[in-house]
Amino acid sequence: MNGGISTTPKERFIAALKGEKLDRPAVGCVTQSVTVDQMEAVGAFWPEAHSDANQMALLGAAGYEVFGFENARIPFCLTVEAEAFGCTVDLGKVDRTPMVKKHLYAAEDTPVFPEGFLEKGRVKTVIEATKLLKQKYGDKLPIVVGTTGPLTIAGHLVGTENLLLMMITDPEAVHKFIKVAAELEKQYLKALVAAGADVIAMSDPSASTDMLSGEMFDEFAKPYTKIAWEGAEGAIKILHICGDTTILLDHMIDTGADALSIEEKVNPAKAVELVAGRAALVGNMGVVRPLLQGTPEECVQHALEIKAAGFNVVAPGCGLAARVPKANIEAMVKTVKG
Amino acid sequence: MSNEILEKLADVVVKGKIKEAKPLAEEALAAGIDAKTIIFDSLSKAMAVVGEKYESKQYFLPQVLLAAQTMYQALDVALPKLEVDANAVPGKVVLAVVEGDVHDIGKNIVKAMLTGAGLTIFDLGRDVPVKNIVEKAKAEDAQIVAASTLMTPTLASMKEIERMLAEENLKGKMKTIIGGGATSKEFAAQIGTDGWAYDAVEAVQVVQNLLK
Repeated sequence: MNGGISTTPKERFIAALKGEKLDRPAVGCVTQSVTVDQMEAVGAFWPEAHSDANQMALLGAAGYEVFGFENARIPFCLTVEAEAFGCTVDLGKVDRTPMVKKHLYAAEDTPVFPEGFLEKGRVKTVIEATKLLKQKYGDKLPIVVGTTGPLTIAGHLVGTENLLLMMITDPEAVHKFIKVAAELEKQYLKALVAAGADVIAMSDPSASTDMLSGEMFDEFAKPYTKIAWEGAEGAIKILHICGDTTILLDHMIDTGADALSIEEKVNPAKAVELVAGRAALVGNMGVVRPLLQGTPEECVQHALEIKAAGFNVVAPGCGLAARVPKANIEAMVKTVKG
Repeated sequence: MSNEILEKLADVVVKGKIKEAKPLAEEALAAGIDAKTIIFDSLSKAMAVVGEKYESKQYFLPQVLLAAQTMYQALDVALPKLEVDANAVPGKVVLAVVEGDVHDIGKNIVKAMLTGAGLTIFDLGRDVPVKNIVEKAKAEDAQIVAASTLMTPTLASMKEIERMLAEENLKGKMKTIIGGGATSKEFAAQIGTDGWAYDAVEAVQVVQNLLK
């Protein structure tokens, strides 16, 4: 693509995720992308927007409308799949994301697959909102839909601490829970792609190196991530994992992800060197610092560093906190766009 | 003989042989080893080794969690036999994940490491209102208030702890430490906590320094 020819945000974003050479990286957000400023600008608010397709779609495009993000992005939490399984979810507040209140199962239980889940609850809301975004922005913006990785879903089912312990004491039971999570995820991704999702951004925070070694990732996360990806055929696949993923990058690529979304705990130049073009890189502006607690000048510095390192998409390294100041996000976008 | 049992118990904790911990602790008591020695010369050392292994990435969370569970098995046996030592360094810690956050694995590890270090922990669990944390600290006359969060919206609660303690004239008398993914040394300094720790291993050092 040539800098002189005008391109849509969609063309740029997709090309960036495919690792194509561009005059500048794309800029946007593939993790939770909504702030209170955006809610006020478009007149749709949490917690209502978590279960209302129209409001969800409005907020999904708010990053573009308000800040010039080059993508749309829904939903705003990692609890949709857990709720589909029957977990109780607290939808939070205007500035607090939903969270799973309680896990469902004990180690010895057999998890029940929630038949017909695509027609119910917030799974249905997200699918509807994807269709709405596709109708309104389909030509202009890539529709990025965020989902939850199988390991994290399994943690919601049986308790993350229990799940981690069971990796040593009862690995068979761990596989039992992650397997059913992966099957649900696969069907969910398929429905999202059919509804118009151009990009699936699957986050698996419980597979982070704060929790697991690379070997454990390969045993408990990788095979199931691959199963889930089978549902994403036709879309671009981004895998997001939190924490210092330096030693995990190879393992993440091995899942078959097209792009990796990572946090600021990885040095951006090091990430580019290690990944060496085998996947696109998305990130890795620090959400707490500089975005939430830093100044616009710090955000400019950080964005410049990431751009210079050769990231394909400059974006927050993890979900945006709802109170991230407007000026800091503007600084990030402006620095990338020039 | 006594050293042998203590070393074996420490090894059982480090390796997470959860079923062997209780009988071994009982064996130690039966052999005439006092509870204090069991806790400080075996369990504490074991948790320190676990901490080192975690730092050097030989251990990851599953192994740490299993070691902690194993330690608690032995502790259940030893603690009721512990004689109260009037001259002991005070070490009462009120620990919680602040309201609005349910991520408590890190907090549980901190609890295990601090317990291993011989401190008394009042664990209020997760999603705990600031008011309850301060009330409990007052009720127990705790020296340390330790709060954790992984999320950003809940950072405000940590500032609120400082405000409430100041309002009650307890700031300085009770020391505060925060931790968790969303926190940072800069943030801790900004809101005026007495300490911040990157992880559970560092938390032990920071708390011990605060108690000096």
